[in-house]
Amino acid sequence: MENSAIFWWTTLWMLFWGVVGSAVTRRVYLHKDLDTSNSVLVGSLVGAAFGPIGLIPLWKKSPEISRNLILYPSLLAVGILMAAFALADPENNCVSSLSFVSSQIMNGLIIGIIYGLMALGLTLIYSILGLVSFAHGEFYMIGGMIVYYSTAVWFPGLPPVMGVLIACLLTFIFGAIFERLFLTPLYDGRIDRPVEYGILITFGLAFTMQYFVQAIGGANPVKARRFFDFPRIRLPDAADPWLIKTSRGNMELFDTISISNPRFVAAVISILVLFVLLFFLYRTWTGKALRAVSQDREAATIAGINPHKMNMLAFALGGMIAALSGATLVQAFSWLPQVGAIPAMRSFVIVVLGGLGSLPGAFIGGIIIGLVEAAGTGCIPDPQKAASYIPAYGMIVLTLTLLLRPTGLLGRRFASGTHGKFL
Amino acid sequence: MIKLKTILSGLLLTTLSVFGASTVIAASCPIKIGGLAPLSAPGTVVGGEAMRDAMLIAQDDINAKGGVLGCDVKVVIADTEGLPEKAAAMMQKLITQDGVVAVGGGYHSSVGVAGKDVANAREIPVVFAETWNDTITGDKQKFIFRIAPLSSWASSTIWKHGLLVPGIKKAAILTENTDYGIPAAAETTKGLNSGGVEVVTFSVDIGTQDYAGIVERIKAEKPDLIIVLATGEAGYNFTQQSADAGIGPMDIPFHTGQVSLESKAYWENVPDGNLAFVQRIGVPENLFTAEGKKFAKVYKAKTGKGDVESYAMEAYDSIAILAQAINEAGSTDGNAIVNALEDISHAGTLGRIYFPYGTKKDPSADGKGSEWWHQWPDVALTVIQYQKEGQSSGDSPIVFPDAYKTGEPIYVK
Repeated sequence: MENSAIFWWTTLWMLFWGVVGSAVTRRVYLHKDLDTSNSVLVGSLVGAAFGPIGLIPLWKKSPEISRNLILYPSLLAVGILMAAFALADPENNCVSSLSFVSSQIMNGLIIGIIYGLMALGLTLIYSILGLVSFAHGEFYMIGGMIVYYSTAVWFPGLPPVMGVLIACLLTFIFGAIFERLFLTPLYDGRIDRPVEYGILITFGLAFTMQYFVQAIGGANPVKARRFFDFPRIRLPDAADPWLIKTSRGNMELFDTISISNPRFVAAVISILVLFVLLFFLYRTWTGKALRAVSQDREAATIAGINPHKMNMLAFALGGMIAALSGATLVQAFSWLPQVGAIPAMRSFVIVVLGGLGSLPGAFIGGIIIGLVEAAGTGCIPDPQKAASYIPAYGMIVLTLTLLLRPTGLLGRRFASGTHGKFL
Repeated sequence: MIKLKTILSGLLLTTLSVFGASTVIAASCPIKIGGLAPLSAPGTVVGGEAMRDAMLIAQDDINAKGGVLGCDVKVVIADTEGLPEKAAAMMQKLITQDGVVAVGGGYHSSVGVAGKDVANAREIPVVFAETWNDTITGDKQKFIFRIAPLSSWASSTIWKHGLLVPGIKKAAILTENTDYGIPAAAETTKGLNSGGVEVVTFSVDIGTQDYAGIVERIKAEKPDLIIVLATGEAGYNFTQQSADAGIGPMDIPFHTGQVSLESKAYWENVPDGNLAFVQRIGVPENLFTAEGKKFAKVYKAKTGKGDVESYAMEAYDSIAILAQAINEAGSTDGNAIVNALEDISHAGTLGRIYFPYGTKKDPSADGKGSEWWHQWPDVALTVIQYQKEGQSSGDSPIVFPDAYKTGEPIYVK
C-alpha cells in the first residue's frame, strides 16, 4: 500500500463516528420514546458515512427509521472505504484492473449463490423445526460423495445429472427417515430439553455420517469428472473473440471475465434449483403450508396443516438442498469425508447474516459472504495474508451483524418454529 | 489379628506381583513401535494411508525374519491429522498408554516439530520419515533422528530446477502457512532471487478448498513458473483450479505438490494436470536397492497401486531401521537405541542409511549446520514430469538433476 495512512485514518474516522453514532442514537431514540429497533444500525451507518455532519441532524430530527435510511448511508460508507482504498493503493489490481475486478466479482457471485443455496436448506430447517442442524455440512459431503460413487464407481459412465438426481433422492429419503426416527422427541413432549437434544442428535448424525463414509470409502480425496465440457466458442469471430471465448474448462467474457466450467455449471444448477424451490414454496399448497408453519405453527394447525408432516418435509428438503450444493461442487473441489466442515461454518454465518429463518435472507447473505471473501482475497495487498484470512472475512461480517442488527438482514423479531421463542 | 494382617499382606503382595509381572510381559512382547501418519483431514490422507500400509509391511517383514530381541514387533499406528496439537497428544498416548519403545513415520513437518519435544523429554527415540522442517533435527535433541531430506535442501532442488525454466523472470509460490510451507517458501524465494527471479508468495490455510480468488491474483502477476508448496489435497485443488483458469501445468511451467506422486488420485483430482513437475525423493524404480525392489513388489500387491511413493519407502525404512537398532542395542532402553542408531548402517529401501552426526561427532566438526544432527545425508532428490495423461509417477521421466535424468523436460508457453 503506497499511502496506507489515507486508508487507515479514513477507517479510524469512520469507526469512531460509527461507534459514537451507534451508542448515542439509541439513547436519543429511547429518550424521545421512539422505536429503537434499528437505531444502533442507523446510528453507526450514518456516523460512519457522514460523521458529525450526519449524526447531529439525525439526533435532532430523529426520523422514523426507513429502509432508505439504512440503505443510502450503508452504500455511502462502503463507497468511502473503497475510495480511500483506491487512493491509498492505486497500483492494486482491485483498483487498476477492470478485468481482475470483474473476475473476482463473478467468482464471489458464483460461490455466493452456491453458499446461499446451502444456507437456504439450513434456514428452512430452522424456520420450521426451530432446530439448528449441525449435520448440514455432512449432507453437503454426502451429496458430493453420492455423485462421485454413482458416476465413477457404481455405474461408470452414468450421466452426472443422473448422479445429482440420485444424490437428491437418497438424501431426501434419508433426511425424512432420520427426522421420523430421531427428531420427533423434539415436539411430542418426550424430552425436557428439546433445544439441547436437537443440537446433540444432529452432532451425532454429523459424526456418524462422516465416519461412516470414511470407513466405507476411505479418506482419500476423490473428484467427479466435469459434468459438461464447454463447447469451443469464439464470438463474434475466431480471430478476435472479444465477446466470448471458451475452452474445455474455462469461459472468458468480454476479454475480461474469466469463469471456470465447474463453477459455472454449479451456479447454473443452483439458480435453476432456487427457482424450482421458490415455485414450490410460493405456488404450491405444500410449499405454502411449509411457510405457514414457519410463520405461525398454531394458526397453521388450526387451518388444517399437519405440522408433523411439515417437520419431516422441511428436514428432508433442507438436507437435500445441502446435498445438492455438494453434488454440484464435487466436480470443482477434491472431496473428502471432512469436506463439509468449512461450508457448514459458512452456512451458519450466512444464516445469521441473512436472518435466522429468512429464506431470501439466506440467499442474499450467501451472495454477500461470497463477495466479501472475493474482495478480501483479491484486494488485501499482502499476498501472504490475503488467502490465509479467508475464514476470517465471514466472521468479521458476522460480528458486525450481531453488533448492529442481531436479527440479521431480513430476520424476524419473532420466529414461530417448534419452540416459538422470541429472537 | 496378626494372622489376618499377614494373610492380607500376602494377598496384596501376590496381587501386586501378578499385575507387575503381567505388566513386564506386556512391555516385553510384542515390542511396540509407534507409527505416525495423517489418516484424517486436514492432514494429507493419501500420504498417511500409504505410510500406514508401508509401516505395517515393515512390521510383517521384521516378524517374518524372527522379530526383535526374540519378540514380535507391533507397529501401533497413530492418526496425527496433520495437526501439531494432535501430534503432541498422539505422541503422549503412544508412549504412556501404548508403551511404545520407539516411534517412526510422520508426514507433516508441524507434526515433527510438535511431537519431537514430547518424545525427547520421555527419552523415546524417533526416526521421522517425511517431516522436512530443518528445526526438527536442528534443535540437536538426543532422541530425534530423520531420514527425510531437510526442507532447505529439498527447496534447493525446486529452485535450482526453477532457474532452468527458459526465460524465467517471475515465479509465483502457493504455500501452506505451516512449519513446512513457510520456511520452504522462504528458502525457495531466496534461491530464485539469487538467480535474478522475482517471486510473489501466496500463503493459505491447510484446509483451503476454493482457490479462485488466489488463482486470479496469480494470473494477474503473469508468472513464468508456479510452485506449489502445499501438502494434501490442497495441491490437487489448486492445480486443477489453476488449469480451469488457464494457468495450469499445460499453460505454464508448474511445479505441483508432492502428493501428486500418487498417480491414480492425481489424475482423478487433476484431469488437466499433464506436464506438471513433481519433486520425488529417491531414485527411479529401476535403480532401487534389493530391499527397495522387494518392498515395491509387496507394496504394490497390497495396495493395488502402480507405483511406490517415496514417503511410503521412507515410512518402511523408519520402522525397519528402528528394529535393527533395537536388535543391535540388545535392549529397548532409549539411550541404548540412540547409541545403536548413531552407529547404524542400515540397508534400506532408499539406500544405505546412517547418521554421521550426533553425540559422537557434532555437525560443526565438518562445518555443517546444526540441522545435520542425526540426519541421513544421502537422500536422493529428483524432479519428475508427467508427460502423458494418466501416466504413473514411476514411469514419468526424471528431468532434474542431471545425475538421475531419464528424460528431457517439456517447458510449455
